[in-house]
Amino acid sequence: MTLELPPTRQSLDLSATKFITPEKPDKSNRLASTKAGGKMVAQYWENIFTAKERGKHVVWYNGTALNPIFQAAGLEWCHGEAFSARLAAMHLEGPAQAAGEEYGYIGELCSYARTHLGCAVMTQKGITEKQSGIVGMVDQDELAAKLPSPDFFVNAYAGCSTGQQWDAMTYRVFGKEFPLFNVSLPMIWGNKKDSGYLRGSEWEKTPLYVEEQLKKLIEFIEYQTKTPFDWDALSENMYYIKKASELRLEAMALCAAAPTPATYWDWVASIAPINFLPANQLLVDYFQGVKDEIEQRIRDNVSAVANERYRVYFDGIMNWNKLGFLTRKFAEYDVAVVAGRYTHDSFWQEPDLIDLDRPLLGMAQHYLICPINHGLKIMEELLLKRCDEYGIDGIAFHSTRTCRAMTNPQHILARTAERDRGIKSFFFEGDVADASFYKDESLESGLVAMLESIDQQRSKARV
Amino acid sequence: MTDFRLRGFSRLQAAAQDPIGYARSWKARTGRPVIGSFPMNFPSELVHATGALPLIVQESRTPITEGRSLLPEFYCSYTRSVADQAAVGELDVFDAFVLADHCVQLLGAADVIRWAKPETPMHFAQFISSMDDPWSGAQVRDKVDALRVEVEEIVGVTVTPEVLGASIRLFNSNRRLLREFYDRRKSGALRISAGELQVLVKSSMVMDIEEHTSILNDMLDGLDVDSAAPASLVRLHLSGHFCAPPRVELLDLIEECGVLVVNDDLYHGTRYISTDVPETGDPFDALATWYLDRNVSAPCGTRVQRNVDWDSYLVASLEDSRADGVITLMAKFCEPLMLYYPELRRVLDDRGIPVLLIETEHEGLAAESVRTRVETFVERISRKKVAA
Ligand code: SF4
Ligand code: SF4
Repeated sequence: MTLELPPTRQSLDLSATKFITPEKPDKSNRLASTKAGGKMVAQYWENIFTAKERGKHVVWYNGTALNPIFQAAGLEWCHGEAFSARLAAMHLEGPAQAAGEEYGYIGELCSYARTHLGCAVMTQKGITEKQSGIVGMVDQDELAAKLPSPDFFVNAYAGCSTGQQWDAMTYRVFGKEFPLFNVSLPMIWGNKKDSGYLRGSEWEKTPLYVEEQLKKLIEFIEYQTKTPFDWDALSENMYYIKKASELRLEAMALCAAAPTPATYWDWVASIAPINFLPANQLLVDYFQGVKDEIEQRIRDNVSAVANERYRVYFDGIMNWNKLGFLTRKFAEYDVAVVAGRYTHDSFWQEPDLIDLDRPLLGMAQHYLICPINHGLKIMEELLLKRCDEYGIDGIAFHSTRTCRAMTNPQHILARTAERDRGIKSFFFEGDVADASFYKDESLESGLVAMLESIDQQRSKARV
Repeated sequence: MTDFRLRGFSRLQAAAQDPIGYARSWKARTGRPVIGSFPMNFPSELVHATGALPLIVQESRTPITEGRSLLPEFYCSYTRSVADQAAVGELDVFDAFVLADHCVQLLGAADVIRWAKPETPMHFAQFISSMDDPWSGAQVRDKVDALRVEVEEIVGVTVTPEVLGASIRLFNSNRRLLREFYDRRKSGALRISAGELQVLVKSSMVMDIEEHTSILNDMLDGLDVDSAAPASLVRLHLSGHFCAPPRVELLDLIEECGVLVVNDDLYHGTRYISTDVPETGDPFDALATWYLDRNVSAPCGTRVQRNVDWDSYLVASLEDSRADGVITLMAKFCEPLMLYYPELRRVLDDRGIPVLLIETEHEGLAAESVRTRVETFVERISRKKVAA
């Protein structure tokens, strides 16, 4: 049928009205307990900003969660990706990215890296300006310029060459003035037939090598701080991490219930606490609170998405600019995003590996099971496991524009899920910390098409 | 006879243009396996010592088709092309693949190959990219052993130190000959275009090394000194471009703008031939040493080393070749280069050395706009020279 339009003098360009949707009710029901985490994180950063005034040693680090070591050494720690993510989540990434761009970092480079390099440029500028007495960025109330300059750097990036090179560049931005320690984390590539998740000869051998490097890291820190390392404090920190992690996993497992009492977005809100906040009773209490609320919701029959009709898995790094937006968006379509690679396969996700008598080995093992540090075979295994655990109907692949580490296997993972479980998926464009790459049309059309295929599949199954 | 082009150059050009075709005919001729390796750090000597042909998988010129749905379009052209070649069956000639690098995009392409060709053995010996840690040497040595075991298993041959030593000597003499072409160009004794030099280096990544060396020897034999290039030409250094060679058309275009390319640090250039493997001592140790040495003689943006800088190496090499400026060729989406480029530019700017950045893509070449930019750049340098 063709659309007969009467002759008109008006413009026929309807695009302006096409995307205007009336205000939709928010069908998402986020956990209240994660708000406490938000406060803890804000306090953590405020504390970091005053580190120098308090005479503390500051380490800038990238990659994996070395913070229990830093904490035991009495350091203040600034995690590069975490700070970039925070800036993006608060929509304050602009000045840092502009500073990075001015320095020469182009827009296709990992947006975490270029945001953080921009912070480095601003911090470095701040040091120079302080010395010369010029009032500059540091004196303005701009979050991006508030990081204290490092006393040294530690890099421990798993699975992504960009991470390591990024710190090599930060080191240069600061004129090679501050020492840099590299922990090399080999990929668990799966060369051998016996390889798999937490098994095989590659898995048995590699953590021992990393454990040795962690011992050297501790020697390096002792040298920098001129203070003997507190091994008891490290074990104590790992005790709290282990407890917090167990509670987090128990709470996550409760979300196998349908409808789910909490979603992926709640787990995203809980990343910062488990990833870099100090290991202490407060951390444990936080995850106890999250678990309690989820249990209460189950008892009260409260679901995280009103009228949950589809259960979706999220693959890709979080789009920090869009956390609230995406939460509402998926819920609008009755989609509960239940689990994801970023949240469920990272961040102390195997507490049984933590041995308080030999903490470094368990830490090394965790660093190696970062979800971008495996070959395809293990990623396929993990994806299918999660899909089974959470009764997943579909997968949203966040084609994270500047994070090749996350996007590397996505197309093949999509084919694997369809082939082995008949699970449909779609891709949408976006990025970790650069809002310009997000395409609403790509999300909207992909999601709708996937939900339609799921409906068709279901009606066929009913026949 | 003075023209090196008349002495086997066309055979090198054919291999450089069609590496897979070369591999097929070599295999048919010898009945031996072909092992594909990946840029930029794989020690080909190890495969050669088994009697197999080590061939560095090259970017193909064909447009990306199947590979489009396997890797996103925001990947560098090399990785997209490799994924595409795997998906369309172009890589079927290879009996195995070995990989010794760590660039995150390359790993994506390697996984596509594993997925597309599950029956073909593939081994990733991740050479540590942090070069100056106390454990770096031992780590690389360990990985050399892992590679040895793997290639021995694939080919069914044990690699003895003697045989490996002989392979090392062959590759060293090939690199020495290639450097001879570079040196003659730099001194003005040989007029050879950047595109022609690329053919010499690229074909050495593809061909049987003895065959290649014999052609190079023949080409150098009795070569007369060329008349010096006109002094009016602006002397340039080409920098950047990892993994895949820049298009020959692009190099020709640059030279058509009144430029004499006097040196480069491209992977398909100086970087590849910069370093010899030590010929004394244990040859397996020597391969590990070569890897570590290489980043000192030609520092690479994909490696991490505190006491070595690509930027200072570049400045020293510009002094040596008396280049007036630098054109950086950046394969679009190549993150290691995107990360390092600001440091390169800063150091060159500080020294008043003009630099021009040209981004390259898999499909096509915006010839006219590149020409305009290079011409403007060359004019700027010429004016500066006159003023000086
Ligand atoms: S590309 Fe991704 S994994 Fe790599 S450094 Fe950036 S955010 Fe991290
Ligand atoms: S180093 Fe650059 S060109 Fe090579 S695979 Fe990585 S991104 Fe591509």
